Amino acid sequence: MSVSRVLVANRGEIALRVIRACRALGIETVAAVSEADRDNLVARAADRSVCVGPPRPTDSYLKIEAIISAALGTVCDALHPGYGFLAERPELAEACEKNGIKFIGPHAESIRRMGNKIKARTLAQEFGIPVVSGSEKVHNFKEATAEAQKIGFPVLIKAAAGGGGRGMKIVASAGQLQGAFEMASAEARAAFGDPTLYLERYIANARHIEVQILGDRHGNVIHVGERDCSLQRRHQKVIEEAPAAALPLKLREEIQNAAVTIAKKIGYENAGTIEFLLDQDAERFYFLEMNTRIQVEHPVTEAISGMDLVQEQLRIAAGEPLSRSQSEVKLSGHAIECRITAESAAHGFRPCPGLITEWQPPEGDDIRVDTHCYAGYRVPPFYDSLLAKLIVRGENRIEAVGKMQDALETFFVSGIETTIPFLRFIAQRLEYVKGEVNTRWLESVLATSSFQAATAATSYQ
Amino acid sequence: MELTQEEVLQILNLIEKSDFDFMQLQVGELKLTVSKGNYVPSAVAAPAVASDPPPAAKPAPQIKESKPKAEPVAAKPKQPAAAADGVVIVAPMVGTFYTTPEPGAPPFVDLGAPVDEETTVGLIEVMKVFNAVQSHARGVIAEICVQNGQFVEYGQTLFIVKPKAAAGQKKAK
Repeated sequence: MSVSRVLVANRGEIALRVIRACRALGIETVAAVSEADRDNLVARAADRSVCVGPPRPTDSYLKIEAIISAALGTVCDALHPGYGFLAERPELAEACEKNGIKFIGPHAESIRRMGNKIKARTLAQEFGIPVVSGSEKVHNFKEATAEAQKIGFPVLIKAAAGGGGRGMKIVASAGQLQGAFEMASAEARAAFGDPTLYLERYIANARHIEVQILGDRHGNVIHVGERDCSLQRRHQKVIEEAPAAALPLKLREEIQNAAVTIAKKIGYENAGTIEFLLDQDAERFYFLEMNTRIQVEHPVTEAISGMDLVQEQLRIAAGEPLSRSQSEVKLSGHAIECRITAESAAHGFRPCPGLITEWQPPEGDDIRVDTHCYAGYRVPPFYDSLLAKLIVRGENRIEAVGKMQDALETFFVSGIETTIPFLRFIAQRLEYVKGEVNTRWLESVLATSSFQAATAATSYQ
Repeated sequence: MELTQEEVLQILNLIEKSDFDFMQLQVGELKLTVSKGNYVPSAVAAPAVASDPPPAAKPAPQIKESKPKAEPVAAKPKQPAAAADGVVIVAPMVGTFYTTPEPGAPPFVDLGAPVDEETTVGLIEVMKVFNAVQSHARGVIAEICVQNGQFVEYGQTLFIVKPKAAAGQKKAK
């Protein structure tokens, strides 16, 4: 393999995940860590670690010069950005290229083209992929009013540079438009340094469906099936599944082909995900956006395909062809992932960093736990609250749901509050078990009184 | 007996409209709890089934990754040898450390060189940009912990300065 030492430019569970994949392929690893992470499991699991700066992400994990210096100083020939932090910053991919380091991800140009949502929408449209009807950039409230009238209420305001739900607002009627427009604009400016907004028709009964893509340098592009990530809170995914059980068979093939088309047309290299919105009432899907990185929820795809997506990323970056052709990708069973975070659901999902005194994850044949936590680990307050991903696989969805319920029952954490009690509650809900949900369902459950009562009774686990 | 997924869903559809709070299904391998109300802990729901030992009986937790080793990997740079009466100058950033202003030139500071807060003791190069490292301590260079051209981490010890106060105690103000 033409990659021999990888700088892992991330932290937490994904850093360990990358180290594991590297080790399996005989590749050495160097972990770039902040001062807060000097002694954690990532620093120890890697062949070597380098402290790149103080705990604050802007001074360490988000500092391109520091990351590149660490890679050069330890003679790494490749760099894996993980997800979040710098993963979708074209400047990092460019800096790698300039310094002779292989960026384990797409070219800077691909990141740039798909990073701006308005541009990505336009591209998808050019490729003949349906997009939700909407506007181009709207520069002011007056333009927004005119566009909203054309689209019809309810309308969705979105940030061109958006992500994570920031700068996104649902507007039910014309009277709410001005306030929402101003707030979205301010949020977008604060979060992305770019206040540009656009409008989209709002689809009430929708599912979030995304397709996993892999492309290599030799022009091969395959999909590895789709995932359903409709269970979200504040636009953050909470539970993800593969395949998307609610997707009509005919649409499944169409949506997979649409994703492959987009990736092929832009000459996409490495792992990526194309997100779609499924209108459950109209049985139609629309292109939403593309994520040019490995995603948090990639394990559910691995569980039903038997492929190791991070190893594929490494091979692709090394210039090797994909390990499988499309017809060799066999998907079977059903997988579910729960994101376990250091938050108190009973207190409005307040973050709960601190010392983990007990950490007892479930074990079993069809259970996978991706985590950097252990008893005695202190969760630092500087980073996001993800503690672990719990993944189960069953022969079908009902079996997987049963296994997830069981696995959550035997996941014990003390010292800090986690979302495990909340996930146990959700995994039992009739609508969830039957698979009758949409992107708004989770928040509607959170608003019900039975949730409040349930969390009050079991808030500390 | 095994139930297919379709059969389970049919059962759920049948009972959906009935007045139940929660139900528990256990057929073969499949174990499923469905609730319309509160969360149902498994201990409450299935008292008769002895297959699951109570949580307390579970074996001690096992960390998947190998337990932290006692000693860091060999490649790790040396951390400050606790300088009894010395002040440590550490690298303010990750990069390549240079002891001289240019190749072949004499070093910024030698052993025994007097320094004050503003004295430049070396340069750190980060992506072709050279950043001066200042002493931030008043005294004399007592130990040089890095070599010219060495890669340094954030916070790594570069020099140990013996403070003025320690050398000439009396003048401490």
